[in-house]
Amino acid sequence: MSRRLKWLGSTRFTLVGMALLGVGAALSYDNPVTTPVWVLVIPLLLLALNLLLAIIINPAINRRPGLLLFHVGLLSIVSLVAVGRLTFMEAHIELVDGAAFDPDSLFDVRQGPWHGGDLERIRFIQQGYTVEYRPGMKRGLTYNHILLADDKGLVEPRVIGDDRPLLVAGYRLYSTSNKGFAPRLTWVAEDGTSVSGSINMPSYPLLYFRQANEWTPPGGPAIKFWLQLETGLKEDAAWVLQPERATGTLVVNQAGQRVELQPGESLTLPGGTLHYDQLSGWMGFKVFYDPTLPFLFISAILAVLGLFIHYWRKFKAEPLLLKSESDGQSLSLSSAKTVQVDR
Amino acid sequence: MTELPWLYAALTAYGLATAFAYYDIMPVRGGRVARHAYNERLVLLLLLTAVGLMMAALGERWLRLGHGPFVNLFELLMSQLFSLGVIYTLVYWRVPAMRRGALVALPMLWILGSWVLVIEPMDSVLPPTYHNDWLWAHVGFGKVFLSFCLLGSSLAGVLLLRRWPLFQGWFRVMPADKVIDALAWRFMLIAFAFHTLMLIAGAVWAQDAWGRYWAWDALETSSFLNWLLLGASLHARVSYKVPMRVGAVLIIVVFVFAFFTYFGAPFYSEAAHKGVI
Repeated sequence: MSRRLKWLGSTRFTLVGMALLGVGAALSYDNPVTTPVWVLVIPLLLLALNLLLAIIINPAINRRPGLLLFHVGLLSIVSLVAVGRLTFMEAHIELVDGAAFDPDSLFDVRQGPWHGGDLERIRFIQQGYTVEYRPGMKRGLTYNHILLADDKGLVEPRVIGDDRPLLVAGYRLYSTSNKGFAPRLTWVAEDGTSVSGSINMPSYPLLYFRQANEWTPPGGPAIKFWLQLETGLKEDAAWVLQPERATGTLVVNQAGQRVELQPGESLTLPGGTLHYDQLSGWMGFKVFYDPTLPFLFISAILAVLGLFIHYWRKFKAEPLLLKSESDGQSLSLSSAKTVQVDR
Repeated sequence: MTELPWLYAALTAYGLATAFAYYDIMPVRGGRVARHAYNERLVLLLLLTAVGLMMAALGERWLRLGHGPFVNLFELLMSQLFSLGVIYTLVYWRVPAMRRGALVALPMLWILGSWVLVIEPMDSVLPPTYHNDWLWAHVGFGKVFLSFCLLGSSLAGVLLLRRWPLFQGWFRVMPADKVIDALAWRFMLIAFAFHTLMLIAGAVWAQDAWGRYWAWDALETSSFLNWLLLGASLHARVSYKVPMRVGAVLIIVVFVFAFFTYFGAPFYSEAAHKGVI
């Protein structure tokens, strides 16, 4: 084994790698866009090389089962994190009550070059949500209802929210604090063709004072919408946000014409007729995929298990004789060796 | 704030334990050994009382607010005073040869004790993402980590103070430097394992709560740097045969870093964990 390889597998080189990783971690605080990813990748690669060589050549590690397990666990974690970054996917989607999950509607999509998940296997329908608020507008628990369809076509109601994601086909779908109201509309053009859909208003209650949006019908000028909501919102008392119990007056503004619509009412505008069908809610979801997660967890647990095995054997083999200096007795470790190095 | 009387009573008990630990080193005409044994029992009893009262304070607040001490700084300080007290008292009871280390450990505990007295005892609301079993594991492992850091650094403090003639008499009843050094590092080894467990439990909780297991937020970055620093210190001790007193300084640096990670993050970050609410 060359001296260079030995040095690369030494604990001294570990210290160099750790120092570099420490600098990389400090630079990565809060994920600044100006910090390139290599400040973490290079130290991690060096430490992975150091770990691999240490496991192979360092008898202080490979002859001690606990330390060996710990270092193999660490190497697995570094490797799995790398694989995770190559295969991950993150995205967001907003679903109106009654709408089915549609992979084509995902936005803010970020994914690794080896991402191989099958989004088509995610099949569920959004059913509505309830969010509890405490005094001071502090958000409490979220109950988001969905109808989940399995591969056989069977449908099962589920409730997700906060720290209870939907796990399906390796994906994790989280309901988020980004949610709101969506008036459902139907536009019937003068030639009789119609289009139905919904207009997602800004997040509620975060932007309760700005519930406005606009839409341009086929061939027509833009229509501005403003939603006046009655949700039971209380700033200083507990309340529950539940779109199906809320009412909303839709203020339609086009070319200076301002009309208030209640659900079920219509308005004739240049180019067609606008029907305000009903008021719905929409929920923003975060979609996350990383196939390495269970393996990362197992590796981490095995690593800690290795540490405890090592400590158990070490402490058992070298118990400390804790006698006071004034006792005048020999003051050393009971194994009568010089002080053993801890690792 | 019905928990405050319990808290003040607990702090009084900690204060008396500290006072009697120091009373033990005062000059005496005769019967030092008898007084020493009596004082140690008294300190142990006072520490047990303080821990019991702290538990009552936490329980009272828990019942009143309906959630554990996980959210604001006042709660974190209270719960740390309890957990550090529990583990320190256990070690004080089970390892008599280390009891004189209380002269260093208890004043360290008093940093928290003084702090909790000067901050507003505000009520808190449990964020929705805190209704998760992994939070308990994460916080629990963190408390064990910090407790073993306290134990290790109090022994490191003994090693450093023994250099001065003024303090040599204080710690004469303790084992030789070599033994204290070995024990201090064993405490740090245990701290390292629990720090690792804390990071794992925190990552699992973060994945459930915020849809990511790591995001380099203030606490994550700081605690990872702390883990690296402790890991590097353990490696340095192997690689460079670090002298005992330099090792003692390293242990104290790790403890100080851990202290700022736990209690400093709220000062330089709006929310300790990204997306906490």
